[in-house]
Amino acid sequence: MKAYAIEKKDLGILIEGFLKKFKIYGPTKPGLDSTFDEIKSIDDLHLEYESTVLPPKRFFHPPRETLFEFKIQKGKYETKEIKDDEKFILFGVHPCDVNAILKLDKFFSGEFKDKYYQNRRKNSIIVALNCVKPGENSFCKSMEAGPFIDKGYDILLTEIGKKYLIETGSNKGKKLIQGLKLAAASDNDLLEKEKKCKIANKKIKKIMKPEWLPKLAQENLDHEVWVDLGERGGVAGSFPCLSCGSCSLVCPTCYCYDVYDTLDLSLKQGKRIRELDSCQLLEYGEVALGGNFRKERKDRIRHWMFCKFGAAAGGRNSSCVGCGRCIRICPSKIDITKVAKELRRKK
Amino acid sequence: MMNEYYPHFAAIEEIKEETYNTKTFVLDFSASRRAKDFSWNPGQFMMLGILGIGESAISISNVNTDGFINMTIRNVGNVTNSLFSFKKGDTIGTRGPYGTGWPLKEIKGKDIMLVAGGMGIAPLRGVIHHIINHRKDYGYFEIIYGARTPDDMIFKYEFDRWRNIKKSTLHLTADEILGKNPYECQTGLVTSCFPMMKTHHRNAIALICGPEIMMRYAAKCLETIGFADKQIYLSLERRMKCGIGKCGHCQIGLKYVCKDGPVFNYADIKPLIRPL
Repeated sequence: MKAYAIEKKDLGILIEGFLKKFKIYGPTKPGLDSTFDEIKSIDDLHLEYESTVLPPKRFFHPPRETLFEFKIQKGKYETKEIKDDEKFILFGVHPCDVNAILKLDKFFSGEFKDKYYQNRRKNSIIVALNCVKPGENSFCKSMEAGPFIDKGYDILLTEIGKKYLIETGSNKGKKLIQGLKLAAASDNDLLEKEKKCKIANKKIKKIMKPEWLPKLAQENLDHEVWVDLGERGGVAGSFPCLSCGSCSLVCPTCYCYDVYDTLDLSLKQGKRIRELDSCQLLEYGEVALGGNFRKERKDRIRHWMFCKFGAAAGGRNSSCVGCGRCIRICPSKIDITKVAKELRRKK
Repeated sequence: MMNEYYPHFAAIEEIKEETYNTKTFVLDFSASRRAKDFSWNPGQFMMLGILGIGESAISISNVNTDGFINMTIRNVGNVTNSLFSFKKGDTIGTRGPYGTGWPLKEIKGKDIMLVAGGMGIAPLRGVIHHIINHRKDYGYFEIIYGARTPDDMIFKYEFDRWRNIKKSTLHLTADEILGKNPYECQTGLVTSCFPMMKTHHRNAIALICGPEIMMRYAAKCLETIGFADKQIYLSLERRMKCGIGKCGHCQIGLKYVCKDGPVFNYADIKPLIRPL
């Protein structure tokens, strides 16, 4: 695998070249916080970000999307396909989010393939950016999802001093930079990358030991921690869960969705829509006649934690990548790493 | 690539009135390309949808020899309520069948005991028909069917046929009998029939479907009688939006009810449904 290096000030030229062929989504900083949005020029790009509030999952699995449109005429139905063939580059994604996308890839393939997700994934190119400045809430190291990455990307950037190191990880990536006049990386550049990797690893303070978690979770269905989280005063300095669903919203691997139909005013045409859902919400487990299989708050927070620990059905492909977004967003200050620790400690 | 989210349209061939709030819809698939590769197992379900209203997971209560699909539906929610205004000849969207169904092959040669509560008899009706058609493959056959009142019972027109199956017993029970009792129901819950049961647990399999609370008690009673967890199968109900193991709503432990179930071996899911 050949590596290249590019001066930071020349990155703009590279971006402009890409913009001629693709739409680019990347980290921007419109206010106090960074977010993934469309990049129109290099000035929009904010590559020094720690973590975005929302993960980049929305480019592949949008919060709301139309599955198909339909028409009703004289009791007969007609369905119409929705086409979305936009080709885009997802620029500057941190390793944790790349790993989350790989997990979603696995989930949306399998026995029943999700055409919508796979189509968008096929039309996308991922330019990953190694994380040299992990935030205080990150624990990607424990989840083996960061701060540096060695597979899953099309192109990988690493910040090394005044330069970016460019590596390709797939044919898609090779094709993208084909024909560009890039200088080959020197041995010094590669050494610099290793140094940065070591520093980044040291910056990560939070730890969650993943190999124990699925078994531990399965054996602790009735653990006190769940009662503490759901009804009593919280766990390890947190307040009790409010069931707001923020954690699902910001989680890069949470994919659960609701499906519903909308009709326009004529009642003759409409859409079938899917929308992100969260297992934290009361309606999630509700069935006809008011039955609810997850009526109690402790059952819902337990399910979410299990899913992230890899101990629920969805969790086999939606387990945690350690990005720390849920810790940051939780209004009750619930910290998944502390919950895991408590699970192990208390009996 | 086939898109699993698109419904296949079927025409309503016939509507049978079961009770005051339950109807059996007989669906004709012949116009859809689905007809050719349609195969099913008793216990599987389909996503029945009305465009503009939504979709609902409904179990297949039988498939006639001419290929018509029977779905027995109680009017309890949005989709079912809207469906009740449909008439013969109207079209509805269907997807599936999904799920695993009852393990009819694995339980060949065993004595079979069915325990059904209320609408729980619908997914089990296919089993009854299968056993009638392959009577020699199975041992003693016992059906326990309970409902709130005798009026709430469905498939009443088949009771005579079920009673006349060779080497079998049919117990009917109702929680409350106020009016007429034409089918000679006893009063009580399904579990009240267990002392009268003729099946011995040694070589038996129990198939249970009904409200979850009923299944818990029934499974507990069977355990007390001597059934091992492995000898008990349950069909679970959960909220479902996709039917193909993607939307996440029906997760139970490490399994999806829609994909890995809805029929589960009791041993596999025991801790997750909170046994008594």
